[in-house]
Amino acid sequence: MANQTGKSSQAQERLSQVSSHLSGSGKQALLEKRPDDIVVTCALRTPITKGGKGGFKDTQSSDLLYGALKALIARSGIDPNLVEDIAVGSVLAPGGGATEFRAAALAAGFPVTTSCKSLNRQCSSSLQACVDIANAIKSGMIEIGIGAGAESMSTQYGPQAVSEFSELLESHQEAANCKVPMGVLSEQMAKAKKIPRSEQDKFAAASFHKAVKAQKEGLFDEEIAPQTVKWTDPKTDEEKEITVSKDDGVREGITAESLGKIRPAFAKDGTIHAGNASQISDGAAAVLLMKRSTAERLGQKILGKFVQASVVGVPPLLMGVGPAAAIPVVLQKTGLQTGDVDIWEINEAFASQCLFCIQELGIPMEKINPKGGAIAFGHPLGVTGARQVSTLLTELKRTKQRIGVTSMCVGTGMGMASVWVAEY
Amino acid sequence: MLEFRTQGFNGYSVKYSPFFDSRLAVAASANYGLVGNGRLYILNLTPNGIVAEKWFDTQDSLYDTAWSETNENQLLAASGDGSIKLFDITLSDFPIATWQEHAREVFSVHWNLISKDTFLSSSWDGTIKIWNPNSNASLTTLPTHSCTYSAEFSPHSPSVLSSVSSDSQLRIFDLRTPASASNHLTLNVPIHQPPKPRMGAAASVGIPPSEALTHDWNKYRDTIIATAGVDRLIRTFDIRAPGAGPIAVLPGHDYAVRRVTWSPHLSDMLLSASYDMTCRVWTDGSAMGVDQQNTMHQPQDPMFYGGGKEMGRMGRHTEFVTGVDWCLFGAEGWCASTGWDERVLVWDCRAVMQGQ
Repeated sequence: MANQTGKSSQAQERLSQVSSHLSGSGKQALLEKRPDDIVVTCALRTPITKGGKGGFKDTQSSDLLYGALKALIARSGIDPNLVEDIAVGSVLAPGGGATEFRAAALAAGFPVTTSCKSLNRQCSSSLQACVDIANAIKSGMIEIGIGAGAESMSTQYGPQAVSEFSELLESHQEAANCKVPMGVLSEQMAKAKKIPRSEQDKFAAASFHKAVKAQKEGLFDEEIAPQTVKWTDPKTDEEKEITVSKDDGVREGITAESLGKIRPAFAKDGTIHAGNASQISDGAAAVLLMKRSTAERLGQKILGKFVQASVVGVPPLLMGVGPAAAIPVVLQKTGLQTGDVDIWEINEAFASQCLFCIQELGIPMEKINPKGGAIAFGHPLGVTGARQVSTLLTELKRTKQRIGVTSMCVGTGMGMASVWVAEY
Repeated sequence: MLEFRTQGFNGYSVKYSPFFDSRLAVAASANYGLVGNGRLYILNLTPNGIVAEKWFDTQDSLYDTAWSETNENQLLAASGDGSIKLFDITLSDFPIATWQEHAREVFSVHWNLISKDTFLSSSWDGTIKIWNPNSNASLTTLPTHSCTYSAEFSPHSPSVLSSVSSDSQLRIFDLRTPASASNHLTLNVPIHQPPKPRMGAAASVGIPPSEALTHDWNKYRDTIIATAGVDRLIRTFDIRAPGAGPIAVLPGHDYAVRRVTWSPHLSDMLLSASYDMTCRVWTDGSAMGVDQQNTMHQPQDPMFYGGGKEMGRMGRHTEFVTGVDWCLFGAEGWCASTGWDERVLVWDCRAVMQGQ
């Protein structure tokens, strides 16, 4: 009997091999290990804390970046002298944070020869940072680099993040749409796409439940680098030093019913409120990238590889549909079918837009954000892209699965998506 | 065109004898090679058509065959159970030798054309093994860590061999290099890398890596290798400039290419067999006098690179074509093909190259 089972599984393997020749698909080819693959040898993040009251409310984004980079050097054991470039995504920092981030890299232990840049593609900034580094390695421009993100919404969130629109921009309709606040346009989109509040609240509650469970089971511990920072107690105004090791936005006991009682934030008859939208948060994340051949030479442990990314523009007022536009493109580029993907990390900017994208793409709910998402633990704008990489790779490893996609909608109307393969 | 039916067995590989222009070997498998027996046919071209001189049945599917370069009656078969078998046509039923070392399906076997005392095999288990027919165990094992569909000795040097595999890499090994951590690997060429952009021309589009299924050394130009596979493109590489990308790219097949083989007579000509049920004849554009003008005025696939073009195609197969080989003798252009339609076709390339 055992022999027969062996035979039939062998026939199955031979058949899937022939079918992979015909589909050209992706899946088999994707799982191959090639010396020129761009691999991740360390992906971590700081905890994500509540804007204005959480553990990092008094910490600058540069200091959060410093903490993430220092932890990355310690965990990966990489010789900082070998890192040639660091790209840091950040949305709210004035001047992009270019000066502070370079300084933070130096303070974290990188030599002056390690270059550093900041970049801003709104909510996908640190995914863009990882992709920029991966492409620079692919093209031979650098050999080892870090894609990172840092954001202090506590200290930098506010109207100063956008300059006044000129008359020229105001007079162009689509251009003027770029400055419509996210909440307002998401409200309109939820209405237009007919996503009822009950569905949104159910999705949001599920995000909390998943995050609470994951946090209790310690599923975030591997990706989180605890940070010791200065923190002023709002009650006593006393400054103390605290160590933050958990996402403090995750709340227990939230249900769709309890969320149903919250007043809408953007319109009287609206559906979006503080409980089914992403939280305002602080944090940092970093991903160490290099070629597989380099990783093997240096003895770096490979956690996974970066495969491909896509970025697509959508109408500014339909910003939230971004993932639904970008994901099919990245799947097509990699030859993957929707069913080939084991875990989807789709940023929960708003439950409404995330739900819309999930339904549009026909993704089974159990494969979406298995440890919760931005509704439960926060969306520090420029950090989310790199944060998703560590969340994804640790979960793929834990569940012994391989292929993951990260994606997010991007303010002013864009979507970005990327494909990663976990190795363990 | 001559035809033979391999009733009940789906063809996987066909090879002309290097000794007789009328003798062919065909490796075939029941149930499309998924499960069941294999059969190795020895066919003769006679005035009465193609006649099966002999066949050998095996327990598991057969995926490739190679004639001995020293004994006109002996040939190798690559089996799905990981074994390699040597058969002698003068004997019946059983192989005269069996080597069982590969852990998975053996996909290719190839006899060393220069030293003639060794042959190689490549397997799904991610290794290439070098063998001496008189020795029970393999002489060398070269790891590729990737399902290796095709491996071949250079026809120009007895100690150089090459492989292509699922990981989209063309590897060159030189057995003269000292045994070390690199396992004789001297070159690793990513097949999917685009051609180097030239001044004044638009850069080529990047293509994701895909499984490489077949490759062959040019018989005249000792540094030229053709590869093909799942991305449907045939490419030629010059291993003197491994970083330069392919020197020719030939799009056209509608599905994965299962086999490419260079002409033994003309240095620029090659033949391919594909899942799209066709065999196609190509020039890689390297020969003098190839009509560049003509190709420039035709609307072309933007993937075309290096001045090559399709010269003709044979569409008589009704299923996947898996094997094709040139006759070494006689008039240039005779070849044989086999496929999942349980047929072996013997035909003249020149007949399908309409007016070229």
